[in-house]
Amino acid sequence: MKFKAFLTDNGVSLLEKRFLPALDKMGRICHLYLTKDHAFFLHNLLNGDGVQSIAQFRKESLFEDYRISSQNDDRIAFTIDLGLLHRALRSSVSVCGHVTTATNRLQVKLVKKLTHNSQQPMPFLTFESKGYKSAVIQDVPISKPLSRVDVVELQSAIDMAQDLPQTLVQGPDLHQLQSFVDRLKHVGDLLHITITQYGDLHLQLLNTLTTLGVEFRKLPVVGVQAHVPSGDQNMTAQSRTKYAVEKGEALSVQVSLKHFAKSLQCHLTKPDCAFYGITPLASCLTVIFQFFIPGTRQTDKSISLHCRLPVLDPGSA
Amino acid sequence: MSSSEADPDIPDLVCQLDNVQGMVDALSSVRWKRHQDSVLELSEHGIVVIVEESGCLQAKVYLKKELFVSYEYRAEGRPRFGVSLGVFVDCLNTFSVSGRSSSIEICYPGPDMQLLLKSVDTPDACIYAEIRTKVPDTISWDYNFEPAGSTPLSFTVKSAALKEAIDDLEWPGSSIQIVLQPDPPCVQFRGEGHGDLQIDFMYYANTDLLIAFQCDRLVSYRYKYKFLRATTSNMPGSVIKDNRGSKLTIGRGGMLKVQHLVSVARPSTQHPHIDSAAYQQPSRIAYIEFFVKPEVDEEPVNDA
Repeated sequence: MKFKAFLTDNGVSLLEKRFLPALDKMGRICHLYLTKDHAFFLHNLLNGDGVQSIAQFRKESLFEDYRISSQNDDRIAFTIDLGLLHRALRSSVSVCGHVTTATNRLQVKLVKKLTHNSQQPMPFLTFESKGYKSAVIQDVPISKPLSRVDVVELQSAIDMAQDLPQTLVQGPDLHQLQSFVDRLKHVGDLLHITITQYGDLHLQLLNTLTTLGVEFRKLPVVGVQAHVPSGDQNMTAQSRTKYAVEKGEALSVQVSLKHFAKSLQCHLTKPDCAFYGITPLASCLTVIFQFFIPGTRQTDKSISLHCRLPVLDPGSA
Repeated sequence: MSSSEADPDIPDLVCQLDNVQGMVDALSSVRWKRHQDSVLELSEHGIVVIVEESGCLQAKVYLKKELFVSYEYRAEGRPRFGVSLGVFVDCLNTFSVSGRSSSIEICYPGPDMQLLLKSVDTPDACIYAEIRTKVPDTISWDYNFEPAGSTPLSFTVKSAALKEAIDDLEWPGSSIQIVLQPDPPCVQFRGEGHGDLQIDFMYYANTDLLIAFQCDRLVSYRYKYKFLRATTSNMPGSVIKDNRGSKLTIGRGGMLKVQHLVSVARPSTQHPHIDSAAYQQPSRIAYIEFFVKPEVDEEPVNDA
């Protein structure tokens, strides 16, 4: 089992400035899953109850001279502490600088080392950076590589998490939404989310003393769309939503407000937009973040990030 | 409760406010603990929010109708209803988006006697809240504050200084004695408990702190520290920043009245053509009043 690669400047800036801070907020520990073509950072894919997040990078977007081999179809997966990974990366970058040349490239590899408090060699993800007069090696401890069975399970969990909602709405400004959700935290912790085929996103929080909600209307829709019913502008947000669900033109689920707030932390990855959708049978709320190729409006297909929020109750759908 | 029950379609009150943060500030200043019941009283003059604790402390927030962009009042009499102050403030707070002005409509009663709030200036992103109301407790929510004599016993001190003094008195804690003496004109706060601490505001020495002083005889009363602290503990940042005076008056029997002014003006930078003088407009001020009953001593320290 071998893995060795050099992080590119783009890879360093993607991870250090954007993805690691965001993914760390999703949860300290995640699976790092490396295949022949991709690197994945995965949260909660093998244990079901938290927010699942799947960040996928094509190897070229992070690495060059990428070499991987294992007896399991050249796939390696292990768990890693994102906080430590972030620290190691930041420190390596401070040694070799943000712009690398042929001589000060930042190498990442999997190693086994004997440490002073263990008899067995322990696995590490090692960052090796060379500065002008110095070289620094950072060893980030990782778990034992996952067994063949676990890797197969991880891959099938990724495959299963690819099912797309039929209707996706492009969400409002993430900062605005986050500031609203932060304030909602004082009021309650169960969030009803309804997404209509007209492009309405309705968040509602109910408890014994209050009903509090926000309805974003006329959002761009991807997938199955329906015409806005006439006269609905005179209705309240609640009755509009109820009517749309009854007509089968909306899905509604209940999720944890904490989970929703966590998924919004992905704005730290600086996505260009976010889409919200409810998978068929209302099994989960999916949030897909889209990244553009810098300077264009074209989707950067080498990076993808999406979250799946567990549904606490099938809701009215 | 509602006096317009004959025509349930017409609400008692529909009003619009263009500075939610000002209202959040005003109501937060009387929120001294997480779960607090409050009573809202509606009238043609505005809304009064009343909070009470242990029969010893009462606070009132006066939101005059001039604070609102529009104020349509249709009830007869004065409808009163109870809401959880914490829920009301937390709901209002969700309307206050930093960095831009937010206008809301407040309506009472809703179809199920709720207090209804909704944002009005964003047609494609509507925030709404329905707050459950209840019949207010039957206890008297009125603390009859009467002047202690022909000359009022009162002083006005800079709000920040008052807050600082009361915060400092936390150390001795428990019971705080307030003494007003006419000669030399001076206000003393004395705390005796874990230790002794006395804070003096000398009128002639600190005219920039003690702005006004009226007293014709020596008076002294004791107040529970926790009630005194409640009068300044949640003073909003805007009050400390504006640092207008807070007025304290001692009434008959030692009842202490503490008054603060909270600006509910729309930030003038956003719409200079409408509200450039808003900070100077007295109509854009919410009045906050606290009434604190004195401690009853076995040997009353009373009017000298």
